Amino acid sequence: MKLYDYVLSPSCYKIRLLAALVGVELTLRPVDFHPGGEHRGPELLALNPAGAIPILEDDDVLLTESSAMLVYIASRAAPEWLGDGSAREGARIQQWLSFSHRLTATLGSARLHEMLLRPGDIRGLQSAGKQALRELEAALTEQRLSDVEFLVCDHPTIADIACFPYVALAPDGGISLEPYPSIRLWQRAIRALQHFIEMPGIHRLHELRPAPVRPEQGA
Amino acid sequence: MDLATLAWKIEGMFPNALCQWVPVALSVDVPAATVSPGWLPGLELALWRSAAGHIAASSNRCPHRGMRLSHGFVRGENLSCIYHGWSFGPDGGCVRIPAHPDMTPPATINSQNKAVLEAGGIVWVCDSNPKSPPPDFHGLVPVRSLTIEASLAALEAAARAVADGKGLLAATIDGVRIHMALAPLAGPQLLAHVLVAADSTCEDRIAASRAAEAFRRMAEAMSPESAAA
Repeated sequence: MKLYDYVLSPSCYKIRLLAALVGVELTLRPVDFHPGGEHRGPELLALNPAGAIPILEDDDVLLTESSAMLVYIASRAAPEWLGDGSAREGARIQQWLSFSHRLTATLGSARLHEMLLRPGDIRGLQSAGKQALRELEAALTEQRLSDVEFLVCDHPTIADIACFPYVALAPDGGISLEPYPSIRLWQRAIRALQHFIEMPGIHRLHELRPAPVRPEQGA
Repeated sequence: MDLATLAWKIEGMFPNALCQWVPVALSVDVPAATVSPGWLPGLELALWRSAAGHIAASSNRCPHRGMRLSHGFVRGENLSCIYHGWSFGPDGGCVRIPAHPDMTPPATINSQNKAVLEAGGIVWVCDSNPKSPPPDFHGLVPVRSLTIEASLAALEAAARAVADGKGLLAATIDGVRIHMALAPLAGPQLLAHVLVAADSTCEDRIAASRAAEAFRRMAEAMSPESAAA
């Protein structure tokens, strides 16, 4: 599978993260999103006229929506990441995939405004982003009250991966994560998963490995 | 309500904030080997629990370069700063400076830990010598903590009740009875720890969490601060 990728894009990171967690190898094709604006150039517009990344190619499959890419990778390699096949879990996953686009439109737009000076009503974006975070916090709190660590069931699904990156990077858009204890512990559970990978701004849990030891002098 | 009156009301609730226990978090929200932010009036905290379960409340500022220690991590029995890895023990003393591995850090390097204890499922912190134990919320257990961007007056108006001497405010929303242990935050906002009767079922607790969301909507709509925003 070939991913048209930008290292600072949370949507591209969703795809890299799920692929790493389920052991799918991606061929990365770096895109000069900023400052080059390569995603709006002729080569990429031919693949995605919307002028957006990520883009995923696999033989005759061409996908331009990150949620669809998560479904595709999980279906191919790790169907347990799609829930148990029940109406309840399947629909709840779809619910969070749709919700994740609100996170992109609010937290993500606030981040683009603050980091890349994109135009926008920053107060309105931050306020709408905070509202989305409050909804996520309430849902995760209810899960915790039922002893469930993740958004849909007691193991991670693509719902968690779809929502995680824009939430984790909300402070880049001037939106604090400090008021949300359940979001804090949920992020921690995702970062503790085996084969978790980082992106700039989202680091691994250093404490999961022993403290580094200084090599002996002259070694 | 003007700001002076607001300050007076909150001061009335926390008459000696400097020598009084403040409920800063739920115990379950700071599990072993984690750190989270917390607040005393005018002071940011890094609340953390060691791998062995020891709770501590440090000033949220690394004495080295000022980084928030709540961005750090807990390895074993120590809290480490994310910036240069200075590590602090449960008593606040610096135990390790990675850039100077052969040096024993001087005792003056300290993360300024505050008095902390846990009672009734709540983490209580005090900035100086507490005169008395924290209040006993007998028969109640905590469900969740949430930030409400409203004044105490707006909360009391929404609850149609006043906070009692323990800082506890009760409200009934659509037939669901909740109690809230209140703590001050910076600006016109409060931290509310939602409590329910100890014999509540899982469904009762979820209902209380939803009632608290509805209560927050009411209180924030009534708050002059949010109306002005």
